[in-house]
Amino acid sequence: MGTSRLTTRATRHEARYYWAGGVAFMVFFVLPALLGYVVSLAFGALSEGNPQRLYWLAGLLVVLEMVRMFVLHWGAIWFTQAWEYIRAVLRYNMLDAQLVSGGPNSGRPVASAGQAITRFRDDTEDVAVLADTWIDVAGGVVFTVIALSVLATVDTRATVAMVLPMAVVGVVATLLGSRLRLAHLADRQATAEVTGLLDDVLSAATTIKANGAEATVLARTRQVMDIRRETAVRSRVYGYAIRSFSQSTAEIGLGLVILVGAVSVQQGRLGPGQLALFLSYGGWLGFLPRMIGLLVARSNQAGVAFDGMATLVADNDPANTVIERHLDYRQRVADGRAADVANGVAGGAVDRDVPVSGVVDRGAVDRGVVDRGAVDRGVVDRGSGAVDQGALGRSTVDRRVGARGVGVRKPLQRLDVVGLQARFDSGGIDEASFSLERGSFTVITGPVGSGKSTLLRALLGLVWRVESRGEVWWNGELIEDRAAFMVPPNAAYLPQVPQLISDSVADNILLGTGNRAVLDQVLVTAAVSDDIQAMVAGVDTLIGPRGLRLSGGQRQRVAAARALVQQPELLVLDDVSSALDVETELELWHNLAAADTTVLAVSHRRTAWERADQVLRVEGGRLRSE
Amino acid sequence: MIDEGNSQAGSARTDQTWLMSAHPSLHWRATAQLIRPDSRRYAVLTVVVVISAALALAGPVILRRVIDQAAEGATVASLATLAAAYLAAAVASQLGALAVSYLSTVTAWRTANAVRLQLTGHVLGLDHGFHRSHSPGELIERVDGDVTAVSDFLAVVVVRVVSALVLITGAVAVVATIEWWLGLAMGLYAASTAAVLFVQRNEAVEEAAAEMQAGAALYGGIEERLTASEDLRANGAGPYAMDRFVTETARYVQVAAGRERAFLRLWRRLQFSIVAGVSLALVIGAIGVGSGAITIGSAFLLFQYSRLIQHPLEEIGHELEVVQKANGAMSRVVKLLAVQSSIVDNGTTSPPDGAMSIGLDNVTFDYGDNEPVLQAIDLRIEAGRSVGIVGPTGGGKTTLSRLLVRFVEASGGEVRMGGVAIAELPLAELRRRVAYIPQTVDLVAGTVAENLTLYDPDIAEAQIDAALAEVGLDRFRGSAMHQHLGPGGVGLSAGEGQLLALARVWLREPDVVILDEPTSRVDPETELQLETAINTLFAGRTVVIVAHRLSTLDAVDEIVVVEHGRIVEHDTRSALVDDPRSRFHHLLSTGLELDLVGGRRPEEGQ
Repeated sequence: MGTSRLTTRATRHEARYYWAGGVAFMVFFVLPALLGYVVSLAFGALSEGNPQRLYWLAGLLVVLEMVRMFVLHWGAIWFTQAWEYIRAVLRYNMLDAQLVSGGPNSGRPVASAGQAITRFRDDTEDVAVLADTWIDVAGGVVFTVIALSVLATVDTRATVAMVLPMAVVGVVATLLGSRLRLAHLADRQATAEVTGLLDDVLSAATTIKANGAEATVLARTRQVMDIRRETAVRSRVYGYAIRSFSQSTAEIGLGLVILVGAVSVQQGRLGPGQLALFLSYGGWLGFLPRMIGLLVARSNQAGVAFDGMATLVADNDPANTVIERHLDYRQRVADGRAADVANGVAGGAVDRDVPVSGVVDRGAVDRGVVDRGAVDRGVVDRGSGAVDQGALGRSTVDRRVGARGVGVRKPLQRLDVVGLQARFDSGGIDEASFSLERGSFTVITGPVGSGKSTLLRALLGLVWRVESRGEVWWNGELIEDRAAFMVPPNAAYLPQVPQLISDSVADNILLGTGNRAVLDQVLVTAAVSDDIQAMVAGVDTLIGPRGLRLSGGQRQRVAAARALVQQPELLVLDDVSSALDVETELELWHNLAAADTTVLAVSHRRTAWERADQVLRVEGGRLRSE
Repeated sequence: MIDEGNSQAGSARTDQTWLMSAHPSLHWRATAQLIRPDSRRYAVLTVVVVISAALALAGPVILRRVIDQAAEGATVASLATLAAAYLAAAVASQLGALAVSYLSTVTAWRTANAVRLQLTGHVLGLDHGFHRSHSPGELIERVDGDVTAVSDFLAVVVVRVVSALVLITGAVAVVATIEWWLGLAMGLYAASTAAVLFVQRNEAVEEAAAEMQAGAALYGGIEERLTASEDLRANGAGPYAMDRFVTETARYVQVAAGRERAFLRLWRRLQFSIVAGVSLALVIGAIGVGSGAITIGSAFLLFQYSRLIQHPLEEIGHELEVVQKANGAMSRVVKLLAVQSSIVDNGTTSPPDGAMSIGLDNVTFDYGDNEPVLQAIDLRIEAGRSVGIVGPTGGGKTTLSRLLVRFVEASGGEVRMGGVAIAELPLAELRRRVAYIPQTVDLVAGTVAENLTLYDPDIAEAQIDAALAEVGLDRFRGSAMHQHLGPGGVGLSAGEGQLLALARVWLREPDVVILDEPTSRVDPETELQLETAINTLFAGRTVVIVAHRLSTLDAVDEIVVVEHGRIVEHDTRSALVDDPRSRFHHLLSTGLELDLVGGRRPEEGQ
């Protein structure tokens, strides 16, 4: 799909704003044709010595300007929203692809959030700019046709002289436009370097101070910022140059008109009225060629932006960045939920419902029939042509109030892992095969960097599917899409370094499931109940960016509660001891033992091994049973 | 506390108090201060601006002669000469404008980068209380986004304002030579329009600031969710996170439209006075021509000048958006710079060289929220001793360690290092002599070696290699130390990241070493190897190790048990081990139950 079609699709999101704004701006661009004509009539009246008529014309001028102001007022308000909605749908699709658990819409996880942020900020803006430029070009075309027709009736030769600087502007804008694009790209890259570094540096403030490395870190920051200054200046000055050439059409054009039409001027055929007309129109005639020049550059720029954004969505297909969404913005604003978020009050819970059933009936595979359950995600999503409509991609509107969705639970009897593999440059896991029985307890050990975490992540489908091979069978059925299936209530995962978000404790645990009734129980099981109760606001305590208001151990136990809250069939734990003291950890193990669940855990604890039905050892990416 | 949002237990995005309240004129003054170091460049820029404006004024004067001479019956040749002169002036004026834009952009970006660096350094210097309530995503927006708005302001608006002033003054002067009252009228008109602009310049600042704040919340939220994406995916929490995103977007669009409305309110008034000006120019011209006071050429000049000064005014009107964004941004920059670290660095006393003793007298600590993290802490650690701090999570161990390097300041009581109150010690000396490895593993974009040296080019490769060897990161030794890691340390396992962070100690020669959970993410075998390496640090140094894995503490001299913000036990390790009623003894036996002490291989536990 080309850039134009992609951009058109993006404008369809809340399309009425784009169209209303677009029409208003068209009117705004065309009105100067009338204004210039009135001015020329005024000077005509002046040179004919008819001031009475001139007063009327001045009045008309004021009225026309008022109309223009009115049109622009609404155009600007509508277009501001259109602009943001275009960006919103792109952002939604990228973020959704990054956060969705498997399914056809999931994209390859980004390595650095700091760098990916430029996709959300700058790339989306490039697309909005292109959609904006279309309106400008359309308005410019209409104005230019009218203006040149009017001028031609006055003086054909002079009109040709006026077109000459326009052509120059077009050529300059096109030439500089491609340079502008390259400069812009370089600037974008340099900016990503700057924000990426700033993200690291600001996140690592403690370490930098502790090592007294402020000076060296700032020196490095200065380096990348100096590079960015050069790219920024280049891209901005090209932009100014194009605009400034276009603005000079009026003056230069008028000079040419007089030069070419000196005879007409002398004979009075090009009098003040005519000159005023050329001067007025001249100011606007540079607009179209400039916009056409910029259109080429901006289309290319938007194309690059789509390529960049595509890296975040499924199949690296830019079409997946413009999947149409129907999001109830208005409802949220009306509900005041938006205000709630701004005030830090726990936001409305989402109803999560029937999760992905990625399980394929083994027999069905033999018969060549694949039973695919409908993917059903809690957010309104009437899939578009961008994804395969027939199969897993079907999505439905789902914001049923009160539909407290709990996924289809498939009670685990037996899990078989066959030849699981995930390799990166820096290690990974090779051909791991093992089985778990219901209610069993399996412990994985092994040295640092041996591939333990990778094994768990591959099992759960968290390793990007292209980089992972092997099969996982659930009760003898092949899980086709592990990322989609291995989520609560089937499986839950507690990473070694869990990440929380700036919400309340309750929100971080429930994640929109609304299952508040079990919250207290889960806090006890996760051995974090006392800590939370000691806080003034209890489970509604806001935990700050990335949960930094909690201690490391509290974060880990809140994350444990998050994993336990849906009573998963399979619980996957990655070294919980890394942030827990011995007593808390012991309590946690005891509580887990009491809960009837199947556990797969990386642990170096004797308690864990003593309870273990099997111990798997990973060394250098290879699994060997103990 | 230093940041207002902290006390109300609100997260970073809720502390609206950030936004405004500082008097607007303050920002102009602050902006002027930013410019001062580059004043020479700005002076050159001003000269170019004046030349360019003078060229722009020349065109209409020539055109006036064209019209008047044509009316008087001049020759075609003389008209053509004037036309050529008009063309030349138009071209030269455009070239001048281009030179202005180049110079102004370069200069503004120099200023902006200086501000960015100043801000980065400033934010780095702020205390833990600040960082725990402001996400990196939000701070990027402050350091980069806000400053870009300010530099656009400097490069575009300030230059336009100066150009407009020169143009208007020039135009008034030229018109006044034709007819003094015309000059006066034009001067009055220009002054009134400028007044409209000036009076209103701060009108939509609040809305602009609100938009930027909503933007920071939106991007901060995206960044945070992307960072937590694996957790969210594994928990099937995508829909939940997306729901929050849509709500934040709805809020942002609402605020953006509100800002646009506020801006348009202002733009309408300006536009009205511009329209009035052009119409007046026509009418006054007509009156002048009618009364025979001026020629049609002069009326045309009047009209053209009214357009000429209208243009920059209109542009400034459009750029008011930039002004307001910049003003909003500037107010946040000023505010951010005004945030003082609670850690005041004005100490001048240096403790004697060598290992330092550590003392805490009745120390309390809370984050300004009346939830005490530490209470009545009395602690003496003699120079050269090694001490392990144990206790349940959330009990205050990490806070205690942070107090020793002044990452947080005691709310009450006194902390001493080498017998000197810690506030009396110059901060740089404290941080140089006390090596502190925090619990969080912070990695930065760059090579493995750069992660170790934190971009210090003066550290020799051999030294880096030795440090890597100490922590057993053999696969990065030699030329592999130049292997590039992604941002945030992509390409390392959690355990390896921790070893890398720990290795930084060996690049320094500290008198005191404080390790917060140095081995929490590594397996027991690696930990056993590390123990030997860590024990070599003990010689001639005071060492404090916070740990919940008790096996890390086999070789320390003393043990401190911290529970619920209080020290419940402090004695030599051997005494506590031998006392069956001690908390440490209890913890140890729990640990024995839980773990393998003595570093036996895991299989032997079976």
